[in-house]
Amino acid sequence: MAQSQAARRRPLEGIRVIDLTRIVAGPNATRLLATMGAEVIRVEWHDDRAIDLLRGVRPSVPGGEPGSLNRSGLFNNINPGKYGITLNLNIPQGRELFKRLIAEASVLCENYSPGQMDRWELGYETLREINPGLIYLQITGMGKSGTYKDYLSVGPTAQGLSGLTHMSGSPEPMPPAGWGYSYLDHSTGYYGAMLVLTALLQRRRTGQGCYIDASQTEVGIMVSGTATLAAQVTGTPTERYGNRMHAATWAPHGAYPCRGTDEWITIAVQTDEQWQALVAEIGAPDWARDARWQTADGRKAHEDDLDRLMAQFTQSEDRYDLMSRLQKRGVPAGIVQKSVDRFTRDPQLQERGYFVPLPQSEIGIWPIEGFPAKFQNMPVAVGGLPGRGAPCMGEDNDYVYRDILGLTSEEIAALREDLII
Amino acid sequence: MNTTAALSSALTGTVIIESGDERGEFAGVLLASFGAEVIKLEGRRGSNSRRLGPFTTPQRDPEQSLCFCRYNLGKKSVSLEVDHPAASRVLERLAQRADIIIDSGAAADVARRLTLYRELQATQPRLIVCTITPFGLDGPYRDLNMTDLTQLAMGGVMASCGYDAQPDGVYDTPPIAPGMWQAYHIACEYAVIALTAALNFRELTGAGDLIDLSIHEAVSTCTEVALPSYIYNEAVVQRQTGRHAAEGRTRPWLRRTKDGRYVKAFLFWGKRDMRVITEMLNEAGVGHDLESEAYRELVKRSQSDAQAHFSDMIDRLVASLTADEVFHRAQAKGLLWASVRYPEENIDDPHFQARGTFQRIHHPEIGRDLSYPVSVATDGKQRVTAFDRGAPHLGEHTREVLSQVGFSDAEISALAVQGAI
Repeated sequence: MAQSQAARRRPLEGIRVIDLTRIVAGPNATRLLATMGAEVIRVEWHDDRAIDLLRGVRPSVPGGEPGSLNRSGLFNNINPGKYGITLNLNIPQGRELFKRLIAEASVLCENYSPGQMDRWELGYETLREINPGLIYLQITGMGKSGTYKDYLSVGPTAQGLSGLTHMSGSPEPMPPAGWGYSYLDHSTGYYGAMLVLTALLQRRRTGQGCYIDASQTEVGIMVSGTATLAAQVTGTPTERYGNRMHAATWAPHGAYPCRGTDEWITIAVQTDEQWQALVAEIGAPDWARDARWQTADGRKAHEDDLDRLMAQFTQSEDRYDLMSRLQKRGVPAGIVQKSVDRFTRDPQLQERGYFVPLPQSEIGIWPIEGFPAKFQNMPVAVGGLPGRGAPCMGEDNDYVYRDILGLTSEEIAALREDLII
Repeated sequence: MNTTAALSSALTGTVIIESGDERGEFAGVLLASFGAEVIKLEGRRGSNSRRLGPFTTPQRDPEQSLCFCRYNLGKKSVSLEVDHPAASRVLERLAQRADIIIDSGAAADVARRLTLYRELQATQPRLIVCTITPFGLDGPYRDLNMTDLTQLAMGGVMASCGYDAQPDGVYDTPPIAPGMWQAYHIACEYAVIALTAALNFRELTGAGDLIDLSIHEAVSTCTEVALPSYIYNEAVVQRQTGRHAAEGRTRPWLRRTKDGRYVKAFLFWGKRDMRVITEMLNEAGVGHDLESEAYRELVKRSQSDAQAHFSDMIDRLVASLTADEVFHRAQAKGLLWASVRYPEENIDDPHFQARGTFQRIHHPEIGRDLSYPVSVATDGKQRVTAFDRGAPHLGEHTREVLSQVGFSDAEISALAVQGAI
């Protein structure tokens, strides 16, 4: 097919995803599917227990109607490119309508607590009867089977149990520093998307749908690096290394203070040549010409001293200037960019179009974080099919119930009247 | 449950050529776990990761690097100096068999090979090429020399991770890069999402693609509330020990147990949580005053002081129990708490054993099996991804793979004499 002809089609053209996810892990998965061109329909309800927590959290855009659920910046960033409907799954009429949606869908993603879908009698076995080709992705903290299948979890829970919290930070006696956010909400979204994308490939070949019981904690275990292997070989518990490189004699290797308040630069010297280049760049002061630093083994063996001296040097340096000077000599260095730096001072993100301005129906146009790659052929867009930010509550009821399920305006009005949608 | 969800064969028949350095290796692992045939091209000295520890034996043998083993599980190894003049002929023939080429490393190195990849795509329009570079193939930062540490700094992860500031708000500890290889994990997970989307796209259109993935952008997407906080409210989040970075100081989550371990014990100040924690205190026989008139008065007088007092009582509770006791007792009461485990503690946990999270791979050099994390999901019965082989020896499959693409024994020997393989 000619490239220009192919370029009009999206990778997930014709794939409809029913999205029963909330907070971050599940919504991140469906965000990626929307970016790839799936028609993602978020199903939500107004009930206090059902409402997506993210709709009510900071940061939010001031103003609007009191209690509006459409002004959270975080929600907008996590849910662009999706359609949004309301549907009350707590009542039988709502669940029957949901089944009609499932009949028209390719994929269902949900991350309710374990057992919720079964309590609604909407488990995989039920839905497969309606749609044998359905790909059902269920995301829970621990997984739907196993000893902990009924345990509850959020990102920090899974990070603690998986080992990721322990691995992050300075050695004992310092406690773990852990992760300063729900890393596994992001990562689980990535794995959720890749599992669905792979299942779709399998379905194209076999015609078969499938059930996927994904575990956030297992995602954490998957990205624990070489720790589990090393511990099996050495028989000693995994230690923390701060910012140092435990797997090689790379030193200096850490974050060093710079001029200003809480400003830091990371430097990661991997070779003798890079060390010599660093010494040359800083004017070869006496401390840097110490015999201990002439070999990688020497630098590694005396890393405490080396880090102390490095910090004494860097603390009066401007971080951007020092990064630029070291990089010109080929020394790996990068400043610790805060959000303000990435948004206002990062020319790379700007030039590559990382922030995508998208309209949201209530709060207007805001920059949304994009997909981290450029494509020659595929039209990949974080705004998805609707070309906008996150949906407002029930914004697309008319489209979904009329155009997809074929209901009349009168029938839709009656559903609203009866608090079914 | 009777399903046919074995995603470990979803990519059977898909041939992937992997070139470059450690930055892209995890993508090949994930694709191999879905059944793809991943052919790794290594220079005659072997990949960088062969020289990174930990090692199975003290000799630091490149064939016994656990870093290499982890990040090359399930692949075949072909010894090929990709920048050798004779290599392009080999690459051309390999590409004729391939569905995907992944190339990672410094942008200048990858860009040098890009000309060949574009030529290959001209005659094989179904070929998908994915480059994984620090900043992408263009932009002002394109050629900065980066490592996993510096990417986590520039991408914003480190700014959210670390330890609390001093009471006066001054940080005396650096931001922390949670170990290990997390920048590369994130980038490679996105690469697999892009590649499986491209395979779906190819099914629809017959067209391949060229994917230019930026590690910097990938890491940048993975900082949760940090960017939205600035974009919407011009607020910069502050890193805090073992819990979410936030605009203001929050109460600790990380608490020390009787057996000297840590748990994540947080609460959202809901009445139910406070009631069951009080029950846990009573059941553990820990003295407290949470049911006293004095505490009720404190609640009326100052919510903040009452919460601080309640948090102290949780410290007491946790200090009276082992980490495992806290974890299981709290979960039995519906609290989202977890013990902070060493990653290797999960290997023998019955929950993860039942779910097949780990797979035993034989290591002949030490005469035993090691358990590798291989799967993040089940199909209701068993893990959905797995490997049919461990990591390869350097050049283990050179002759086999080159023979498959039509090189005679004499030609292969000649390539070896020329120094190409």
